[in-house]
Amino acid sequence: MSTDKSEVLQGTLDLMILKTLHALGPLHGFGIARRIEQVSEDVLTLNEGTVYTSLLRLQQQGWIDSEWGTSENNRKARFYAITRRGLKQLAIETENWKRISGVIGRVLRLEGGKQL
Amino acid sequence: MNSGAFRFVSRVRGLFGQKKAESEFIGEMQMHLQLLTEKFIRQGMSREDADSAARSQFGNTTLLRQRHRESRTFLSFSTIFQDVRYGLRMLRKSPGFTAIAATSLALAIGANTAIFSVAKILLYERLHVAHADQLRMLRWTADRHNAVHAMWGDFDTVPDGEMMGTIFSYPVYQQMRAHNQVLEDLFAYKEDSMNATMRGKAQRVNVAMVSGNFYSALGTRAQLGRGIQETDDDVPGAGAVAVISEGVWEREFGRSQAVIGQTIDVNQSHFTIVGVNPRGFTGAKNVQQSPDIFVPLSMQPLVDPKDKKASLLDDSELWWLNVAGRSKPGVLDAQAQAALNVELAAATRATIPVKTGDTMPHLVLVDGSRGLNFVGRTFKKPVYVLIALTGFVLLLACANIANLQLARGSQRQREMSVRLALGAGRGRVVRQLLTESILLAALGGAGGLFLGYLGRNAIPKLMANPWDLNQLNVSMDWGVFAFASAITLLTGLAFGIAPAWLAARAEVSSSLKETSQTTTRRRKGLGGKSIVTFQIALSTLLVVGAGLFLRSLFALDSIDVGFRTDHLILFEVSPPVQRYGPGKDVQLHQRLEQGFAALPGVEGVAPSWTAYIADNISNDDFIPESEPDSNDHHGAEDVNAVGNSFFETMGIPIIAGRGFGPQDTASSQRVAIINQALAKKRFPNMDPVGRRFQTGDDKRVWVRIVGVCADTHYASLRLPAPPQFFMPYVQQPDVGGMTYALRTQLDPSQIGPALRHVVQQADRDLPVIDMRTQREQIDANIQIERTFAALTGAFGVLALALACVGIYGVMAYSVANRRNEIGIRMALGAQPGQVRGMILRESAWLAVAGIVVGVAAALVLTRLIKSMLYGIEAYDPPTLAGGVLFLLAVVLAASWIPARRAAGVQPTEALRHE
Repeated sequence: MSTDKSEVLQGTLDLMILKTLHALGPLHGFGIARRIEQVSEDVLTLNEGTVYTSLLRLQQQGWIDSEWGTSENNRKARFYAITRRGLKQLAIETENWKRISGVIGRVLRLEGGKQL
Repeated sequence: MNSGAFRFVSRVRGLFGQKKAESEFIGEMQMHLQLLTEKFIRQGMSREDADSAARSQFGNTTLLRQRHRESRTFLSFSTIFQDVRYGLRMLRKSPGFTAIAATSLALAIGANTAIFSVAKILLYERLHVAHADQLRMLRWTADRHNAVHAMWGDFDTVPDGEMMGTIFSYPVYQQMRAHNQVLEDLFAYKEDSMNATMRGKAQRVNVAMVSGNFYSALGTRAQLGRGIQETDDDVPGAGAVAVISEGVWEREFGRSQAVIGQTIDVNQSHFTIVGVNPRGFTGAKNVQQSPDIFVPLSMQPLVDPKDKKASLLDDSELWWLNVAGRSKPGVLDAQAQAALNVELAAATRATIPVKTGDTMPHLVLVDGSRGLNFVGRTFKKPVYVLIALTGFVLLLACANIANLQLARGSQRQREMSVRLALGAGRGRVVRQLLTESILLAALGGAGGLFLGYLGRNAIPKLMANPWDLNQLNVSMDWGVFAFASAITLLTGLAFGIAPAWLAARAEVSSSLKETSQTTTRRRKGLGGKSIVTFQIALSTLLVVGAGLFLRSLFALDSIDVGFRTDHLILFEVSPPVQRYGPGKDVQLHQRLEQGFAALPGVEGVAPSWTAYIADNISNDDFIPESEPDSNDHHGAEDVNAVGNSFFETMGIPIIAGRGFGPQDTASSQRVAIINQALAKKRFPNMDPVGRRFQTGDDKRVWVRIVGVCADTHYASLRLPAPPQFFMPYVQQPDVGGMTYALRTQLDPSQIGPALRHVVQQADRDLPVIDMRTQREQIDANIQIERTFAALTGAFGVLALALACVGIYGVMAYSVANRRNEIGIRMALGAQPGQVRGMILRESAWLAVAGIVVGVAAALVLTRLIKSMLYGIEAYDPPTLAGGVLFLLAVVLAASWIPARRAAGVQPTEALRHE
């Protein structure tokens, strides 16, 4: 594995999928994987299979829903869509993420020698 | 709903449609891979490269599927089905093992289930009324100077003169009820046997006379019609209404709705049926059986008059009535008891003359949720002993299966090692083995429940009198089912844990590398042999227990009761006092006696007050002329009033003087015959014949002793033959009900109709009660001993069989594993006899170790059952020695086949075998 790529954090993938479904509307697993690949611009490596584990988890929590439909090239595929509970959760998670990344950012910006 | 709950629900949903979800997921993954491959091909890769690139970017599909499956539903559920399937396959693969294990478990669990269902109804069941736990029973204790002298029913005298009673006089009850503020309304009842005629059929019934508030206080509603009300109980001698039990409704009236308003006769009084009790209702006295008929207490003077005074409702002398009430919210039992004690003392002083030195009965409030709980108190110990014994049997069955499992476990060591090597977690292996054990236990449990169901009535039948109408029926309910399931699960864990633990401890490399023989023998040697020792110890315990009960039974059975017990038929005729007052009853019995004697096939007829070996006794004052001033209590002796041909009919020899004869009539000189024990006790160094004594109420009459007869047992086999005197019943002022003994070669069923005909001719309303043979009567007297001998004997045999299987298994296994070694020994010159001896010695050591432990345990435990034995000590040497020898013999017999097999080993074959 090349060192300039980062692994996806547990839980982060859930958030990314929720956001993706929120932004793009219903998608199948392959579409979600493509979108994440595209957005991450090859910074993140992803075993695309794990997307499905994440999707199952989200579905069990009632944050997304799924139904069978036909894909753009006429194949039967399962489409996932975000639910109202999912939207609420997304808002909470986004807020959390911002807060934590803010804290982490501040911590990382601390300069050496300036001890508390 | 929070997301945790959401998740749980969706996992529960995931339990269903597993196959569909799985195939859908596979489809989804395949499509993803295809699209990925196509994408790579579009980017210019070759088909193969694109394929493998897609696969690597997607990740391990098998792992993903597994993880998906696990998180789709509960982890354990999805794999437990696998375990169960696999376990069933393993059990099917070794049918012999499965059959032995399941059968022994079924027997053990069946025995436990049957005993539990009996214990439940005898010891734990409560009255079938709402909130039975609130019921309190009034009871009193008193010392030897008790102010209460006349009692009828429910009291016990403790050897040191202490007395306990649950009975009160009606005036005392009324006064306490009026002043009671610490319990809810007090209610009262009395149960007694009476003659009833229902639909033209005369029969003996159990009648409860109850206070008017009985039904309302218990909160019981009739299932048809109404219960007894306050208004029924208002006026003494009025209120001729009856409520019948469900049993009577079914037996006598075929559950007809038209039963309400019909008339029945109870002791010659007419009653109108006004209601039918609900199912399961047994009144307030006991839990096991319901009285047949409930009537108001106000009817007592008519249906159940006592000798001197018809009505007990205004009699303050006699204490006879059971009293109970419900606890009141907010009042502690101790407070209620203290307050009621004051009331009791006041009521006692107000109703009976209290002399100086007399002490008041002291009131005790006790739990009334099981009524008087006579059965519970009587059978508590026997039932606990049985529970313990069946527990041992179950333990033995568990040990046996653990043993067999261990032997199999070592065969399966390789399988386990392979599974561990292939990456199965130890937890998973343990779970797999435990699942198998529990499956096995479930098989045994199902069989046991079935056996328990079949056997549920066997134990009450063993314990009840064969001629009793109301047989106790044990119902199988959820409690019993839960019990059986719980012990099944426990046994599964008990015999499964050791092998599972050993299997999981296995080192992958060692058992794959080494030959299975070396590993297994070491492990097997320890676990198996200690289990076998344990089995033998338990068997020793059970065999010794069975031996003790059998010896007790034989001791009781071989007692010479002092009269001929064969070809004697017993039955009772009990004329009601209203129709047959003093004198009239004697005439009736004389008529009946003549009628019976005239029947073809009857060799002798002997009516008597009291039947023999029936736990009944009568006694009365016995004051000889030679002891002028013996007006204290040791003046009373056991007595019986009998027919004139009593001694010939019963086969009791007359030792001196004469027997009774036709010359002894109501108007002739009053005579008596005493037995040898009485002669020895009251007339030492004298010839009693011709001497006179006083007895009974009328102290002006002298009774002359005309003969001395041989001793006989009286109330029971267990008590030695007591001093006793006999008088002709025709010379008594009144006799009431009598038991007839009939000597005949005919069966009760053959002669029964003729006897009934004789009685019916005298009085249409008189039933012939409790017909049985004297042998049956004696058997009933030692029913518990008989039951115990039968049950413990069966447990002992079962224990021996299990121990045999165990020791055979261990030795056979050991021999099979040591073929090599034995081959070498024989090649080096060991004789077959020596080899056989070696194997037998080994099992003999196991046996000795087990027996020593077992005998030690038996010496401690049998002391607890000392009071249940007869004629032997708890450490009875013949029983112990016999048991030990028997076990040794059985163990050696069980290891004989493996030993012979060992001796037959051909050295060349055994050595080539490896």
